[in-house]
Amino acid sequence: MNAYQRLMNTLMGQPVDRVPVLAVLGAYGGKLTQTDLKTLYRDPAAWVAGQQAVQEAFGFDLVMTEFNYSAIAEAFGGEVAWFSDQAPNIKRPATSSAEAALQMALPDPQQSGRLPAILESTRRLAERYKEQVPVIGVVPGPAILPALLIGMEQWMETLLFAQDSAGKLLEHTGSFFVTWANALLQAGADCLVVTEGMAAAEIAPRELFAERFLPHLATTFSQVLGPKVLHQTGGSINHILDLLPGLDGLVAVAIGSKDDLAQARALIGPGLTLIGNLDNLCFPTASPDELYAMALACLQTAAPNGHYILSNAGADISLATAPENLKALLAASNEYALTAGCSR
Amino acid sequence: MGYQDWTNRLLDTMIASDRSAAAEIISQALASGIAPMLVISEILDPALVLLGRRWEQETLSLAQGFVAAKIAEDAMLHCIPGQTELYPNKGAVVIGNIEDDFHSLGRRAVSLFLSAAGWEVHDLGNDVPAEQFIDKALEVNASVIGASAMMQTTALNIRRLRELIDSRGLQNRLKLAVGGAVFNWRPELVAEVGGDGTARNAVGADELFMRLQSDATTGATP
Repeated sequence: MNAYQRLMNTLMGQPVDRVPVLAVLGAYGGKLTQTDLKTLYRDPAAWVAGQQAVQEAFGFDLVMTEFNYSAIAEAFGGEVAWFSDQAPNIKRPATSSAEAALQMALPDPQQSGRLPAILESTRRLAERYKEQVPVIGVVPGPAILPALLIGMEQWMETLLFAQDSAGKLLEHTGSFFVTWANALLQAGADCLVVTEGMAAAEIAPRELFAERFLPHLATTFSQVLGPKVLHQTGGSINHILDLLPGLDGLVAVAIGSKDDLAQARALIGPGLTLIGNLDNLCFPTASPDELYAMALACLQTAAPNGHYILSNAGADISLATAPENLKALLAASNEYALTAGCSR
Repeated sequence: MGYQDWTNRLLDTMIASDRSAAAEIISQALASGIAPMLVISEILDPALVLLGRRWEQETLSLAQGFVAAKIAEDAMLHCIPGQTELYPNKGAVVIGNIEDDFHSLGRRAVSLFLSAAGWEVHDLGNDVPAEQFIDKALEVNASVIGASAMMQTTALNIRRLRELIDSRGLQNRLKLAVGGAVFNWRPELVAEVGGDGTARNAVGADELFMRLQSDATTGATP
């Protein structure tokens, strides 16, 4: 069974040889290939080489596009901060006014910023790995997108105190979400991970999500023609899990490290896959044995019911993480398959 | 209606993120004859303390905290339009996101709460080099610097600020408050980056800065 079959079987609730293991290792690919991060994130050949290096070193069940908001903020017209030891970040949004943002043209996936490079990376990953290793396209969620255009503080201000403008901005950026998501699928992504910061309990309460964001997710998801995973980007998500079944094309939810896995299963029901939920902060600091034990604990809790993928719970894993710590994840999955069996 | 009832009503509006209802409660309290300073000390302050406890229990979101900060600011402006004359000025403080950190929302909330509590806040913004924090603190005679970081990688840049404070012999003159999401997730980082103290949320910033200012005055080390 290859990684593609393993992941797809898991999503469909079919038997697998072991639980799939995912890890967000974008910048880490640059560490392995000794490529500076600005080149890694801008050059499709460098990105694909990084993903190949990650795949060869650890054998996880995915290759992926960048898990990073800065590419979209840059495509909107914002400025990016580059670092030598971590993934890039948003330095300055394109504008700080919702009204100005509504007048701005939306990015063109074929021309704006590094979006064409991401599409090219996706095409090359698909050529190399199609139906062997799942190609995961990462796309910012439709409710967090306005923050990438006007900044988080201004988006909060608009959202909470200027609801008409907020609605218009969601609609405006929502069309880009659909365009960008479908472009990644057309370039060869097998599945999309939708990184929705507004789904995190630390950012927005349940009522706000239910009333303002969930209808928007429903509208936009129905226009994206492929399987989707909802990711909380590093927060907790159990507070809204019960609201998610029924979203068009949703196949899995990545839960946070503080979310209880057993509770998550009860909340989301039996049909959707859960992904998680190892704490990103542990990766550079814990020992391989400790990570192995944490991974095994996750497997013992969540794997018996099927529809489960072992993964870190946040964005890019720190470059300071020792390779042995990452190898502990796959070792735990193999051990679990041997001792507990793994028929689902 | 006693102060406790007013406080509970105000707290409810904060949790519900209802800014206009909060403003109405403040207006009603003033109209009922409660002195503006008592509205602040006996109604607003206790509501903020209770809100802080909710935050400690992780039952509040950033959005709710954002609105609560606005409510506190509204209430202060409503009760004391000429704030500087009537409200005790607690002194100057300097805050900012440390070099390479661009997550401003938490820092902005801290700025709002500190201003509402009577501090003269000098907010240096995002991506602030260590030297700039110290130069500004000395310029405005602040005894507390607040450095914010959201991620572990950027939090470690605060060590440079600690080293500069110490190497210039300012450790008793300037105290270092650190904050941001990563410090809540990994409290041991406070000591790792050389912080003199932290607060789990913006509501707790006033109490922390008061304590650190006192430590600076007495030359105490945490």
